[in-house]
Amino acid sequence: MSEKVVNLEINGRGFQAREGMTILEVAKREGIPIPTLCHHDALEPVGACRLCMVEITHPNWRGWKGLVTACLYPVEEGLQVTTESQEIHQVRKTILDLLLARCPDAPYIQKVAAEHGVTATSFKKNEVQTVCILCGLCVRVCAVKGCNAIGTARRGIRREIAAPFGMPPPDCIGCTSCAHICPTDAIPWEDVNGVRKIWDQEFEMVRCVSCGRPIMPVTQLEFEAKRAGISPDYMTTCPACSQQKTLETIRTAFTIKRPASEDAVEAAS
Amino acid sequence: MQKTLVITPSRCTACRTCELACSFKHAGPAGLGISRIRAFMFGEGKNQILTCFQCDDAACVKVCPVTALARNEATGAIEVDEDRCIGCGLCSLACPFGHMAHDGRMAIAIKCDLCGGQPACATFCPTRTLEYI
Amino acid sequence: MRINSVKSLTRAAGRARGERKRLETEVLVCAGTGCLANGSMDVAEAFLGAIRRRKLEARLKLGFKTTGCHGFCEKGPLVIIQPQGIFYKGVKAKDVKEIVDQTLLKGQVIQRLLYRDPNTKQRVEQYAEIPFYSKQHRIALRNIGKIDPKCIDDCLAVGGYTGLAKALTEMKPTEVIDAVTESGLRGRGGGGFPTGRKWKTCREAEDPTKYVLCNADEGDPGAFMDRSICEGDPHAVLEGMVIGAWAVGASKGYIYVREEYPLAVKHLQAAIEQARERGFLGDDILGTGFSYDVQIARGGGAFVCGESSALMKSVAGEVGEPRAKYVHSVIRGLYDKPTVLNNVETWANVPWIITEGAAAFASLGTKKSTGTKTFSLVGKVKNTGLVEVPMGITLREIIYDIGGGIIKNRPFKGVQTGGPSGGCLPEGKLDLPVDFDTLTEAGSMMGSGGMIVMDDRTCMVDVARYFLKFLVDESCGKCVPCREGVHQLHQTVNDICAGNGRPGDLERIEALSDVVVKASLCALGKSAPNPILSTLRYFREEYEAHINDRKCPAGVCRNLFTFRISPEICNGCGLCAKSCPVDCIAGEKKEVHVIDASVCTRCGACRNVCPTDAVEVI
Repeated sequence: MSEKVVNLEINGRGFQAREGMTILEVAKREGIPIPTLCHHDALEPVGACRLCMVEITHPNWRGWKGLVTACLYPVEEGLQVTTESQEIHQVRKTILDLLLARCPDAPYIQKVAAEHGVTATSFKKNEVQTVCILCGLCVRVCAVKGCNAIGTARRGIRREIAAPFGMPPPDCIGCTSCAHICPTDAIPWEDVNGVRKIWDQEFEMVRCVSCGRPIMPVTQLEFEAKRAGISPDYMTTCPACSQQKTLETIRTAFTIKRPASEDAVEAAS
Repeated sequence: MQKTLVITPSRCTACRTCELACSFKHAGPAGLGISRIRAFMFGEGKNQILTCFQCDDAACVKVCPVTALARNEATGAIEVDEDRCIGCGLCSLACPFGHMAHDGRMAIAIKCDLCGGQPACATFCPTRTLEYI
Repeated sequence: MRINSVKSLTRAAGRARGERKRLETEVLVCAGTGCLANGSMDVAEAFLGAIRRRKLEARLKLGFKTTGCHGFCEKGPLVIIQPQGIFYKGVKAKDVKEIVDQTLLKGQVIQRLLYRDPNTKQRVEQYAEIPFYSKQHRIALRNIGKIDPKCIDDCLAVGGYTGLAKALTEMKPTEVIDAVTESGLRGRGGGGFPTGRKWKTCREAEDPTKYVLCNADEGDPGAFMDRSICEGDPHAVLEGMVIGAWAVGASKGYIYVREEYPLAVKHLQAAIEQARERGFLGDDILGTGFSYDVQIARGGGAFVCGESSALMKSVAGEVGEPRAKYVHSVIRGLYDKPTVLNNVETWANVPWIITEGAAAFASLGTKKSTGTKTFSLVGKVKNTGLVEVPMGITLREIIYDIGGGIIKNRPFKGVQTGGPSGGCLPEGKLDLPVDFDTLTEAGSMMGSGGMIVMDDRTCMVDVARYFLKFLVDESCGKCVPCREGVHQLHQTVNDICAGNGRPGDLERIEALSDVVVKASLCALGKSAPNPILSTLRYFREEYEAHINDRKCPAGVCRNLFTFRISPEICNGCGLCAKSCPVDCIAGEKKEVHVIDASVCTRCGACRNVCPTDAVEVI
């Protein structure tokens, strides 16, 4: 990212930002709320939900102003941003209204819609209702993890999140990142008797070497250890057992009766 | 020189003020119980405090797929960028000491961040078991 | 044989022209997709067989070739005999013997195969005299129908690649850009962005790796301008692209063409190979040291992949979905490199501008929309087909002079321009000059050049419904307003057509359209409400009749009308009863017929056959 600093205005207040930052990044840093549904800081912004639309203009644009998505628009010198207006509210309300017609039973969408004053959809509910809003967070998180196991299939209103050809995805490692990041819990998964089920696939899980509690799929362990460049042994003990082990180590140190001066355990270095 | 959170377990009475201060500081009244520091009693008046060691070559940082964990050079603490964390839980599995926690409500990882240079646990510790020096 | 200099290009062109001059007669059979579908391959084979058997080549010094689309597809298969310029339409394989005997051997014209003007009822012998052609001005289509697109020598004979030679040897890249800027050429794919400015920005972009692409993903229903150019004169496109690459400094490019255009793919591929062989593509073009090569990228036929950013993703092998273009593709396009993307027709214009000069191009058309534009003229006009006209011509001239007016001389109702996301213009707008800005102002758009003419039996609500359905199916579904919003618009219009419209529907449509226009990610979504907004603007009373009176005045939406035979007009010919598929029309010969409305399916067959227009919509 460039080191050049630009001056911009958001809601009439002046700010400085590095050139190339998005409006959303600057607004977030300054504590100016802009609603989002498909945005996540760790993932590439795509501008799919359109909830973060803000109005921009510029002294040099001869009065031209327009709506853009804050998550994608790079700030520039002299940019003037308005994050709240009647027009913007109308856009946000309509988007949530449309999403409610698609997902009338998704609690998260109900909540966000209610925050914008939409309690029920004014449209005809979609014939096929889902809880998936197609924000694409799952697909992008899968890509960021380096798996690319799932994607979008079909077009338009029939668009869906799917594995290739509707088959169990061969590249899936069973990490459930897609399910965790999903704002509407649209991706089902479960762990039963040391077996993880997700995307019509079953994964044998590694068990904690101490307590035997299932930790993560074998495929995931191999994948993550390789990616992070650490030994798989780092991840074969569950957090609770790791903590217990740490405590045990310390208790042993106590019983050995070390001199009082060495009693202190330094935390940070 | 960078300050360090120094723990002297022999002074600890396991009063748990540190846990309270920690969770209050990070999550407010609603988050009591979600603490990044823990006090344990071994019996016979022997107590122990556990919190992140802020390791030099930290496993949590290595495994994070989205670089949501990074060291704050000012405080030396490894901090979670809550907006980047995808809640995959790898860091808590990778930590050999079991210091990482997972906030089920927010679906993100939580850990000691030394309160950005003013650790609440040390501020409120009544027995100077926890000192930030 | 490789051509390494301008001199050897001139020599090669001279040789090719010499070959042609040797011929005394030439038979051209149209092998565009329309004529092929009508059986022109059989005609061509019959000619080839006759020529071989009767040794016509030597006897008559006869040449034969299959060409690209002549544009008059409706009348295909077309056969043209040069140099006389005799134009035969609707030729069948069995007619070939007669053509050989009468026309080729005896020089007589076969009246029956000539075009008959639907208005004057006169047979027209000459190609150039047919009104469909006489009002046209062909630049992009200059060689189509004259040359064999599979043969590069044929292309050289008509001056192919001389523009490239001029650009590479006599002009600096910036001079090429200046010439294109001065010509006023604007993107023919629909956007109408000034081509010269696009090239200039790309040239000035910092990254040294640049791409020059061609958009041949023509997706508008009923449009076939780009397909015809790719099929009929692929070298014009390639030549334009190499000139563009020279101007912006690119060394690699792609032609993105849909798999549904197999002939276009075949001809482009053949043209690329021939051009490489001759040294018009690849390394050291024409011995100048400049290198540029083109590859074909085949698309799956998704409408949205005609959008520039989606096209570039598709070329790169990703899912063809648009991205926000806050950073333009001339700065960050294909593989994040500066990229010029122009449409087929734009590229085909470029060589002409270089050879004939920017001023010649700018002298055509209007001040802000120069040159010519191709249209595919379809719908309820007498002459349908591919036309190229100077910008600024009126809709009336296109529809009535070139198109010959409305079929059966019915009243004109509207013309839809600009493809599915364009708009419908009413009779009052017929005298508008056709250019980018006027059409946009009137609530429609130029688009890539689709033009669908509609008569009084077209229901405008139904038209809006049709185009919305197309857009619902073709929306990629990435962003909420386009995916969900256009779906809701379609649902509402569907309800109106089915007779379930509710008061307030129109206001709801307008409010939702407003958000879809403002909030959609790409141009597909931003223009998706156009069909409905433009019909609402000009034909609002038709919507109101559907909603308030539960009536479809045009007699299209089946739940909203009944047919009745007017006793005053009916002459009892009985044609209606014969055509009725459900036998619900009764009546004696020469007496008034009656429709049993309880059985009638409102298919409209009776109405179409009635010679006296006695079947009424009530």
